[in-house]
Amino acid sequence: MIRVLNFFSVALMGLSILALYHVSERTRVTQMQLAKVNHQIRDTRATIGVLETEWAHVAGPARIQQLAEAHGMTNTVSAQLSSFELLPRRGDAPLNNSPLRNASAEAPSAAPAVRPTLFAQPISDQTGF
Amino acid sequence: MGEVTGVFQRRIVIGAVFCVAAFALVGLRLVDVTLLRGGGHAGFEDRAIIARADLVDRNGKLLARDLPVKDLYARPHEFWDKDEAAHDLSQATGADEGRLRSGFANAKHPYVLIARQITPATEAKVMHLGLPGLEFEPSAKRYYPDGRAAAQLLGVTDPDNNGVSGLELGLQDRIRASEDGEPVTTSIDMRVQYILASEIAAQRQTFGPRAAGGLVMDVRTGEVLAMASLPDFDPNARDLTGDDTTRNIMAQDVYELGSVFKIFSFALAFEDHTTHMDEVFNIGQGYKIGKYTIHEAERMPATLAARDILAQSSNIGTAQIALRSGGVRQKQFLTRMGLLTPIKTELPEQRKTIYPANWGAIETATIGFGQGISVSPLRFLASAAAIVNGGREIIPTFVKTDADRRGAQVIKPETSEQMRGLLRYVVTNGTGRNANVEGYDVGGKTGSAQVPGEHGRYIPHALRTSFFAAFPIENPRYVMFVLLDQPHGTKATGGFALAGYTAAPLAGRVISRIAPLLGVPNTAPPTRLAQGNS
Repeated sequence: MIRVLNFFSVALMGLSILALYHVSERTRVTQMQLAKVNHQIRDTRATIGVLETEWAHVAGPARIQQLAEAHGMTNTVSAQLSSFELLPRRGDAPLNNSPLRNASAEAPSAAPAVRPTLFAQPISDQTGF
Repeated sequence: MGEVTGVFQRRIVIGAVFCVAAFALVGLRLVDVTLLRGGGHAGFEDRAIIARADLVDRNGKLLARDLPVKDLYARPHEFWDKDEAAHDLSQATGADEGRLRSGFANAKHPYVLIARQITPATEAKVMHLGLPGLEFEPSAKRYYPDGRAAAQLLGVTDPDNNGVSGLELGLQDRIRASEDGEPVTTSIDMRVQYILASEIAAQRQTFGPRAAGGLVMDVRTGEVLAMASLPDFDPNARDLTGDDTTRNIMAQDVYELGSVFKIFSFALAFEDHTTHMDEVFNIGQGYKIGKYTIHEAERMPATLAARDILAQSSNIGTAQIALRSGGVRQKQFLTRMGLLTPIKTELPEQRKTIYPANWGAIETATIGFGQGISVSPLRFLASAAAIVNGGREIIPTFVKTDADRRGAQVIKPETSEQMRGLLRYVVTNGTGRNANVEGYDVGGKTGSAQVPGEHGRYIPHALRTSFFAAFPIENPRYVMFVLLDQPHGTKATGGFALAGYTAAPLAGRVISRIAPLLGVPNTAPPTRLAQGNS
């Protein structure tokens, strides 16, 4: 009986060693894959970061103004007639004497709309990044 | 036989104990790996080379970010021909060849820095050389997408990515402490910043001042929405070119601001009830105080009511009003307004106010109209904001906040209301007419100060012009200050370079562009609106 138990224990230990080795190998491989994925994530994030920076650069007010002027647009009159906070809620008193009195004003005549040309190729292709 | 069996049994027990111990160890290790350290490595990969968090404006627009670059190092002992390697690396990276040669020849240094912050293109060139013993160390380069537009305000970092000026230095702790890549949100509104900077640049082209600058601030939260200083510099380039300067004149310099300072004399007079709006003062041709005579910058009527003294910017009238308060009370009041102490904000650049040690009658009179005391524009604006915001102290901040940060009451709310009415009168009936913007009810005050020269004497015909504005003046939300250092008159201004011709129209143009962006309702009748803003 003891021999059977002994044999069974040794066999179980052998199997355990094999299983542990298998788990260890799978862990090592998975760690390598994880490192690779992490590396890809880092690279992708870096690329996104660069692209966001590039976007912030090309969409900056200075460049927008430059493009607008190149397309014949000039500074037009703009006016804030009211603000969201000043809008009456449904059921509030009529607008008499409220700060919203000018909200029905005709908007200042705007310059003829010019449709800006969109970039034909990705921005990242047009810059040095 | 029995002894042999006993020996075997002991060995079996010992073996079993070993087996149990081995299984227990394996089990413990499994628990450790699977449960206790689960996910322990997650996220380690991300920010290894990003030392500083992003800086963004109040609307989330990117202002500064670390971009991944590489530093190139060499192990010279691995080169076959050190001189040739130095030459090739110098060609590829732009590094000084002499430095590389001496570095490679010095056996004490196992590593030699070739170049910092190299671009991917340079890296490709270096790789193409096929040299052994090269190492690319991941690093970061701070990049400012808007370039010059907020250069002095944002500041720069050194090659080791430590902040050296501006908000990069002032917000260093927050930038370094930011976790998970959370950006540091500043109070700056880049739209306002750009408009302010571009209008100042245009005015600089017209009137050719040596330097010019501007500030826009929220009077309730103290948030500085924009701060421009010209000449500026390109923060993405390490070297300064032409008349570029890193100096932020709005925070680092102090100026005798001249007539714009009169608002404090009037606030003090109304606070102490030493005068009232309609009291008439004799102006005359000059006002003698001891051996000194105070003159006007422009021809004035023989008499002026108090409100017109400010509207027409009379030095003699203001001197009389200031003298009624006296030097002791004036100094006490200016101290209470914070004008005599440096202002502490997140911006490291600051300068102490310069004022006379002996505060006698002549000093009281001249300080009353803004000569003889030098303050930084940022310090001035913070104190002036308290004049119009209901009379409460406000400390500027460069970090976004929604809280009403107004502090102690420094003047009575009634005085603040009186001053708002008077500032509006200056724009509708006085020297500030050119700052008027239809529908936005601008209130403000001009300042045309004499400029002291090297030996303390004022430079003939040189002026430092400025304009302080608050809008909408009935219940101000924003204050603005623009300054032109020694502008020159043009044909269009009849050769005049006074603030009413140079600084006031600049303020008006900036307000007409930023007020709609900031959601300030336009109160002009529709017929006037359609004709456009002045």
